[in-house]
Amino acid sequence: MEILRTENVNKIYRDNGVPVQALKDINLKISKGEYLVIAGPSGSGKTTLLNLLGTLDKPTSGKIFFENSDYTSKNRKELSEFRLRKLGFVFQAYNLIPVLTALENIEFSMMLLGIPEKERRERAMNLMAELGIDDLADKKPNEMSGGQQQRVAVARAIVNNPLIVLADEPTANLDSANGSKLLDLMEKMNEEKNITFIFSSHDKQVIERAKRLIILKDGQIVNEN
Amino acid sequence: MLLKLAWRNIWRNKRRSMIVIGSVMVGVIALIIIDGLNNGFLSQMLFNQVDLNISHVQIHKRGFHDNKVVQSFIPDKKKVEKILRKNGKIKHFSERVVSFGLVSSAVSSSGVFILGINPEDESKITTVSKSIIKGKYFNGKGREIVIGSKLAEKLKVDLGGKVIALANRPDGSIGSEVFRIVGIFRSPSSNFDKTYIFVPIKTLQRMLGIGNNIHEFAIVTQNYNLAETVRDEIKQELSDKYEVLSYHDILPLLIMQMDLYKETMYIINMIIGLALIFGIINSMLMAVFERVNEIGVLMAIGMKNGKIFSMILLESLLIGIVGTVFGVFIGLGLNEILSVQGIDFSLFSKSLESWGIGAVIYPHLSLENLITTFLMIPFITMLGAIYPAWKAIKLEPVAAIRYV
Ligand SMILES: Nc1ncnc2c1ncn2[C@@H]1O[C@H](COP(=O)(O)OP(=O)(O)O)[C@@H](O)[C@H]1O
Ligand SMILES: [Mg+2]
Repeated sequence: MEILRTENVNKIYRDNGVPVQALKDINLKISKGEYLVIAGPSGSGKTTLLNLLGTLDKPTSGKIFFENSDYTSKNRKELSEFRLRKLGFVFQAYNLIPVLTALENIEFSMMLLGIPEKERRERAMNLMAELGIDDLADKKPNEMSGGQQQRVAVARAIVNNPLIVLADEPTANLDSANGSKLLDLMEKMNEEKNITFIFSSHDKQVIERAKRLIILKDGQIVNEN
Repeated sequence: MLLKLAWRNIWRNKRRSMIVIGSVMVGVIALIIIDGLNNGFLSQMLFNQVDLNISHVQIHKRGFHDNKVVQSFIPDKKKVEKILRKNGKIKHFSERVVSFGLVSSAVSSSGVFILGINPEDESKITTVSKSIIKGKYFNGKGREIVIGSKLAEKLKVDLGGKVIALANRPDGSIGSEVFRIVGIFRSPSSNFDKTYIFVPIKTLQRMLGIGNNIHEFAIVTQNYNLAETVRDEIKQELSDKYEVLSYHDILPLLIMQMDLYKETMYIINMIIGLALIFGIINSMLMAVFERVNEIGVLMAIGMKNGKIFSMILLESLLIGIVGTVFGVFIGLGLNEILSVQGIDFSLFSKSLESWGIGAVIYPHLSLENLITTFLMIPFITMLGAIYPAWKAIKLEPVAAIRYV
């Protein structure tokens, strides 16, 4: 079942008046349950593409459809609501709200959805237990390692049962042991809960474990398998 | 949770928040001290006059207040007395003969109000009997007189000395009497000390040749606040041959000044708030710019602009509340200490005394102004976060995240 489709997406930045074509004619179809890695060298347009797929930015031209409805024309408020309900994000670093504990960070997205306190606490704790990170519940981000923070970020990203989780180089700041632990976690969620994951990475470890791989170069898809 | 988040955000940069909280505190303390002093000043001015002489409610023959002619007697003394006796809100009342005249000693003379009183009743109405600094308050017989210290100075007389009082009688002739000074008082009002003298009511009635007649009933109610009610109740029972006046009617300028002062206090609140608001704007802007990528993450995960905006306003409001609460506590404490000891303005006391206040001002807070401060200062602090909060929601999520 197709859940995401891009049609001739282009993104042109203006850098001091000089146009920079960051993405060129991107056509993609992504189905439910996929585990997709977007690879490519630095500057190839991975972050730009993920930001567009995450509705954080708009393409210069072309259209992006989620479940067959066009999201390039929606306003800020609608997009915010859409991200809250349908998308999960894991960024490279600094994902978590520093003044909240791991548990509270996970609860936060549920709070934004208006889920009552008791229920969200229970759901957050269950999820942490499932991911094997329940010992982190009362820790603040600065009391956790980078790997621990990223695992909590994954928990936050999936707690509202999103349609898609977008992760921009999630292992970039981790050593390979922690990177692999994070990948285990996401793979498990992909397999057990059928959550769709889209990554960007130039980390070999990530690329090797991709179930579908797209390689970007100079803003274009050069290879897909 | 938003509240928890806002609260913890305040303490991320403790020093910066403490500085802002401190400035709010200082502002609030200043407001409380200013209010205590002003309010103390005004109420002292008012109640000194009320307690010294005016009392809470006065009854005269109509027109006497504006034109104190000697023949303006209370039409039916017995009837008024009856009405006053059965009113439970009245604590005490006293009969007075009021006349304007001249008092002279061997060396000098002075225009004065001569009050004929019954000392036993009058001592329950005013504080003159408690302000005696030499001699005693008379027992109401014979030709005893009590005068103020300023007048004694002017006439160069002392206890036991003789003075002559002169005043118009109803028939146009001049009544006169020789009095012996038995008491000298000193009140907070030098003006009062110079212009009021007290003699036994019977003696003054004889001197003026007015028989048993009197000019004024002075009434003290159970509580200052009842003055207006009691006035209206008495008015209802008396014909329009009488005038019944509360101290509000007798001191309209002072009452107006007190009302005006309340308005002024709003403005002072605003000015202090305005002084604070720039510090708040600055500090909240820093708080927003320090957190650009965090705000970007919040936007990315679907926190709506409205919520982000409220979160930042809430942070500022909490700072305002904390500062105000501590400021109010410290301010109240200071005010309490000052109001027991009073603040000695001896340096300026000459002018204060002629205002009828006394050299020492006892700060006195009005609940109304305290509430105004309590509501207004946190509200203004919150307003100071509007621009920073607006800046925050104008951030583009991508730009904010790229900061990382
Ligand atoms: N805001 C921007 N303004 C101008 N150029 C940008 C901006 N963001 C990205 N670019 C350019 O677009 C290209 C793709 O960048 P990016 O998507 O960040 O690549 P990657 O994530 O693969 O490293 C690069 O040439 C980069 O310099
Ligand atoms: Mg990138």
